[in-house]
Amino acid sequence: MANTAPLLTARGVSKAFFGNPVLRDVSIALLPGRVHALLGENGAGKSTLINMLSGALRPDGGTIEVDGKAVSHMTPPEARQAGIAVVQQELSLTANLSIAENIGLGAYPRRFGLVDYAELASRAREACALVGLHEPLSTPVGELSLGRRQMVEIAKALYRKPRVLILDEPTSSLSATETRILTDLLERLRSEGTAILYISHRLNEVMALCQHVTVLKDGSVTSDQPLEGTDAAGLVRLMVGRDPGDLFPKWQPSPSTAAAVSVRGFSAGLMRDVDLDIRTGEVLGIGGLVGQGQEDLLLGLYGAIPAKAASAMVNGNQALPSGVPKANALGLAYVPADRKREGLHLIHPIITNLMLPAFARLPALKPRNRGNERELAHSLATQLGIKGDLGRAAQALSGGNQQKVALAKWMPHEPLVLLLNDPTRGVDVETKREIYIMLRQLAQAGKAVVLMSSDTPELVHLCDRVAVVREGRVAAMLEHGALSEEAIVAAAVAADKPKVAA
Amino acid sequence: MSVVPSNSGQRTGRLYWSVQAGRNVGVRGLFLVVLAFIVAYGFLFPGLFTMAGFAKFTQSWFPLALVAMAQALLMLTGGISLAIGATVSLGAVIAATTMVGPLGVAGGSALVAATGLGIGAITGFIVVKLRLPAIVVTLAGSFIIGGAALLILPRPGGAMPEWLSDLLAGNTPAAFLLLVVVVLLWKLYLATPLGLSLYAAGENPVGAYRSGVPVDAARIAAYALSGLLSTGAGLFVAAQTGSGDPVIGAAFTLNSIAAAVLGGIGFLGGQGTMRGALAGSLLLSLMISVMFFLGFTPVAQYVAQGLIIIGAVALPQFRKVQR
Repeated sequence: MANTAPLLTARGVSKAFFGNPVLRDVSIALLPGRVHALLGENGAGKSTLINMLSGALRPDGGTIEVDGKAVSHMTPPEARQAGIAVVQQELSLTANLSIAENIGLGAYPRRFGLVDYAELASRAREACALVGLHEPLSTPVGELSLGRRQMVEIAKALYRKPRVLILDEPTSSLSATETRILTDLLERLRSEGTAILYISHRLNEVMALCQHVTVLKDGSVTSDQPLEGTDAAGLVRLMVGRDPGDLFPKWQPSPSTAAAVSVRGFSAGLMRDVDLDIRTGEVLGIGGLVGQGQEDLLLGLYGAIPAKAASAMVNGNQALPSGVPKANALGLAYVPADRKREGLHLIHPIITNLMLPAFARLPALKPRNRGNERELAHSLATQLGIKGDLGRAAQALSGGNQQKVALAKWMPHEPLVLLLNDPTRGVDVETKREIYIMLRQLAQAGKAVVLMSSDTPELVHLCDRVAVVREGRVAAMLEHGALSEEAIVAAAVAADKPKVAA
Repeated sequence: MSVVPSNSGQRTGRLYWSVQAGRNVGVRGLFLVVLAFIVAYGFLFPGLFTMAGFAKFTQSWFPLALVAMAQALLMLTGGISLAIGATVSLGAVIAATTMVGPLGVAGGSALVAATGLGIGAITGFIVVKLRLPAIVVTLAGSFIIGGAALLILPRPGGAMPEWLSDLLAGNTPAAFLLLVVVVLLWKLYLATPLGLSLYAAGENPVGAYRSGVPVDAARIAAYALSGLLSTGAGLFVAAQTGSGDPVIGAAFTLNSIAAAVLGGIGFLGGQGTMRGALAGSLLLSLMISVMFFLGFTPVAQYVAQGLIIIGAVALPQFRKVQR
């Protein structure tokens, strides 16, 4: 490659949200003809960096440079004109518009001021052909599966003929075939001189595809080096900043194995016909690709969405809980993934959040005993290491501490079964460690902990067993001895045997 | 990027027509119901199929069709307006006080249009740029706009040129032809990048912004057009009654929401089609007429109207649960 001046550069950029620094003095340079990997744990600041590179966010400090020239106040249309295209992690598609209209969105070809549908069709068809999308272009995107929508998203980026292509976890909802199409495509674009920034949690993809790596950890660059001579374990060490094993408490076999929950032929939401036993004293992991029905499994058991089962035993009761209050009474507690919307009442004081499940149990019209509440809340805060004044609004807490509040509020009720939906998403490493230790302790104390997680290492190191969910079924139940990231991922994606044409 | 040979035979916008056909899928059931009501109406009132009957019916439907479009436009952006009725009233009094004066019909019409566009643009600017909830801004706006109408014409009065009233509200299909023109103009707008962006800006504003869509401009333009449609409906109502009434539009606010909802427009933005909203307004108009011919008292009409609207909204939900 003759011309190797960087096409897009971030120089010493920083960004803070609500006073929380997300990025500190981060630099990255994207060169033509190179696939550049951006690694980092959840919450390390990758998405924020991408948004700044693509003009969707403005840095608080530092500069973004296109072709070596600093651009201040870059907007998304300007970024597009500069040849920067992004494949977002959350889809940027509109369900009610057709595939072609989505692909061209924001960059429609015009004739006499109108959208030139003929031109749009031919250019969109070209982009679709590159990613192997063969659905009619007039199909509304709302009718496509998640994986196909992701391919539309990629086609949308290609339609803009980018010089710089940024992909944020493009493969998280793709099948193996689609992933292969994408990798071939990226390989070709690279050889044609496109600069590519590739974000993925799948290290084998990164190893196969990328030439250079930048690692973000807690908002700072910890490493910026060629990938040559690094192996997957080395990458993990770069991301975690220590040996992955150190993050997790030492695993010990569970003390007892009485069944706390046992269901046969269980169906709820996407889940169909599942047999599952949850034992006391164990941490049961629920893994799999995003959106295969894991959440419905937890919500169904918790009585929060309609569920049915051929036979069910929940803590001695011979039926599924009919609703959330009944589930609570049976000793089930659920901690949702989206703590901002489902787990906490952000504008209310921490103490109110902590006491909320208790309110549900009190007689409706009995006067509250504020002294007792305060005492209980303080003991919970000490027990779980929640820092800060309990009278402040919950939104003042960091993500990790919010998660602790969401967990702590159930503790006074001695739940037998804890259903946790991705409890460490967006939580810093130190808090993660504390949460892991807490979960193991809860299991040791004879509780059943169900840990649904998108973080594969945590399933491997923390769980006694892992149920891998695929297309609404438990595709594999892996015992601790058989647990490895590879095994989980293999079970999660194995669905992609070539489908028999019906 | 490699060049894939594109089918060169596709010069005409075949894509455009198949996209358009695809948009019918969600409203087919509604079209059938509307057809059934038209048949029932024709049965009860055979005069519908004479020129006079057709003219009268389309004239009673026309203003409701315009405000349904005005409301649907905003609901597509994820907003709503409680000021449509007041804007209709303001349009009516401006028309009734200017058109027989020195401004004449052309000047009066221009003033009515400019007022609608201006009010809409200001409302849109406040909602979009200050990030205030549309329902609050337009509620406040309804008091201001309604107050302005009362200031211009404290009690019903003013006048419309007789020939204009005869043209728009006499035995002519002028109302229907006007509606056809409005619909064609809407199709034209939806074929512009700004118009088409409306859906993306309403359903997924963050994604649309990141795709380079001028989200704010698309939403403000929608508010401006909505204001224009509302004052236009006011002008027509003034022509119908031959005078201006500062509170004549009051019923249109809720009826416009009812028509849009009947037509399948969702409250969350980006859901539904204008043809659905138009069919919804036609259905509402037919319902009112049919109940009138069946001898329902006005009170019973209101109750029945409310029940039918709740039923229409609940029906898709039931179907979703069943699946």
